[in-house]
Amino acid sequence: MIEYLFMLTAILGAVLALMQRDLLKSAILTGITGASIAILYQYLLAPDVALTQAIVGAAIIPVFFALAVYKTRRMEE
Amino acid sequence: MNSLIPLMVIVPILCALFLNLLHKKDRTIKIIAIILALILPALPILANYGLHYFGGYVPLIENPTLGTDLPSLITGTALNTFHPAITYSFQSAQKIFVFILGLVGLLAVFTSLFETRRPSGVYGYMMFMGIAAITAVLLTDDIFNLYVFFEIAALATVGIVLVSNIKGNYETALKYMILGGIAAPMLLLGVALLLGVTGNVNITDIIYSLKNGLVNPQSPVLLMACGLIVFGWLYGSGLPPFHTIKSAVYSKALPSGAALVQAFSVFTFIALGVIILRIFSYLPFSQWVILGVSLLAMILGITMAILQTDLRRMIGFLAVGELGYIGIGLGLGTVSGITAGLFQAVNEAVITAFLFIGFGTVLYQTGISDTRKLGGMMVRNPKVALLVLLAGFAMAGVPPLNAFQSKLMLIQASINAGLPELGVIMILLSIVTFMTFMKAFHAVFLRPKPADLEIKNENIPKATIIAMLVFLVVCIVFGLFPQVVTSYLQPLATSLGGVV
Amino acid sequence: MIIDTQLASLFTAVALIIIGIFAAAFLDNLIKKVIGLAFIGDGVNLFIVSMGYKAGGIVYIYLPGMAADWFSQNASYPLPFAMVLTSIVIGASTMAVMLGIIIVLYKKHGSLKASEILGD
Repeated sequence: MIEYLFMLTAILGAVLALMQRDLLKSAILTGITGASIAILYQYLLAPDVALTQAIVGAAIIPVFFALAVYKTRRMEE
Repeated sequence: MNSLIPLMVIVPILCALFLNLLHKKDRTIKIIAIILALILPALPILANYGLHYFGGYVPLIENPTLGTDLPSLITGTALNTFHPAITYSFQSAQKIFVFILGLVGLLAVFTSLFETRRPSGVYGYMMFMGIAAITAVLLTDDIFNLYVFFEIAALATVGIVLVSNIKGNYETALKYMILGGIAAPMLLLGVALLLGVTGNVNITDIIYSLKNGLVNPQSPVLLMACGLIVFGWLYGSGLPPFHTIKSAVYSKALPSGAALVQAFSVFTFIALGVIILRIFSYLPFSQWVILGVSLLAMILGITMAILQTDLRRMIGFLAVGELGYIGIGLGLGTVSGITAGLFQAVNEAVITAFLFIGFGTVLYQTGISDTRKLGGMMVRNPKVALLVLLAGFAMAGVPPLNAFQSKLMLIQASINAGLPELGVIMILLSIVTFMTFMKAFHAVFLRPKPADLEIKNENIPKATIIAMLVFLVVCIVFGLFPQVVTSYLQPLATSLGGVV
Repeated sequence: MIIDTQLASLFTAVALIIIGIFAAAFLDNLIKKVIGLAFIGDGVNLFIVSMGYKAGGIVYIYLPGMAADWFSQNASYPLPFAMVLTSIVIGASTMAVMLGIIIVLYKKHGSLKASEILGD
């Protein structure tokens, strides 16, 4: 039953990430979507994919975005 | 030797990694890159036809010892014939395609090494990586493997655009990547839907499942998969609606890079087009979709080429427009049509590379690509001007050269298929192509030299001239003896034409 | 529940793809466009994984002592999962290249607006 909750957080995280004016918040919110999807993979019986997604989707990609924001500008004009 | 089949992909990848290690050692890079690039066209000539199974996992039917103690649930059904490994299939058509790709790659690497003042390992890396990816796209019989190398080819293209120091290259590269970020997942989704319906990613097995009623071929999911794969095909080869961005990509790369990138587009077009024909040819409208898109590409590409004032952009649009001819051959669906289309693809890859490198000499000498500011280059280099003129003749289809043969075959095939209108359109567009080319040629070479035009580099490197001469020889040989090429292409065309 | 897990995750995947396409097409900020592309990739991956799922099944690891017939009927289908592993890594590397280009473009134009940078 709990997997439906993670589906909801995945979509909510995506929508919220795109609604932020602060790009650093957007970057962190992509991590929430990535992490929810990683947990969903676990429920969908794919533990190895879940591990990869947990590292790439929840840590590496948000860090990439945060670095890009740090190197450019934080607020959306 | 069958072990040479995977080497065709592995050698360029190794070249790429190796060149990147040798960063900043100019002379060593030059020598090693030339030696390694010479291997590329040699490999397909030496290799024997056959299938290569990665990891050695042959289908069960070919390895009976493995199947002895398996239940009949597996050995008694189609599972027995399915391919468990990633399969590379090297047949006669692939032989000529990989050879031409290797040749264009060799000459592009060759010219780039002598035209740039400091040969960079990174540029070589991108070129070799792209060649490896497109070779894999041509060879693979596994549709997911195709997607992976499709992405690598797109990244290599972006890399080739980024290393040229042309104004606006970063913007174009980002635009291309954003479009790719939408199109490539769509291709993957199409692959996924095929996998979901048939449970397989091997193309031969997918076709087996569809033909033998293991899955319902009329399922709407397959229709959607077809649409998504066609979308990826449009992006990968630069057909409309992606013709503007693709021609911009050509125009923002160095001439040698552009020559290579257009070969990538041509061969992506062929590889994905053949796969679409193989899997989806039973859908009645698939043929009309290919014909319609190709016609649109021809008309849009060639008419937009007339309007350009930038030399590179003009050839870029011409290259996109010429892709339409190949698509018309494939879309006709008859054996002669498909042979003509594949032959046109081989010619197109050679001729457009020839044109890019030919007009590249002008850029090398002046650094200007605006046709309004150029002129009088004929006086300086009559030899180069003659070579470029011959390249233009080849593209328009003037008799002794190769595109004449393939365009003639295309027109005959379209008349035989009951669509003479297509033949008329192709002839008209050939004339427009020739007119566009002559306009550019006049502006660059024949017109008197504008007073404010500066020549930066006096001498064109010998390597460029040699590369152009090799292209010319290929054009003439293919033009005089078209059966040399078509005999290689015939088996693939027969297997496809029998399907439609 | 009205719909089962597989169908629900397929819908989630489609929703993510649609959100991503919307962001990539209509948002003006380049970084947000790229975030949208990341969501498209995530959505497609989720779609593929949910196709391999088997309701009430087990993870596709064959342990000693399992009957082969029982395993083959209950395990999830691992081929899509192997594909997704590759696809995740490709997506991440593409994203990194795009962000690198964006940083260079920001230094050149001093802006992240797609309409200014990619406009002409």
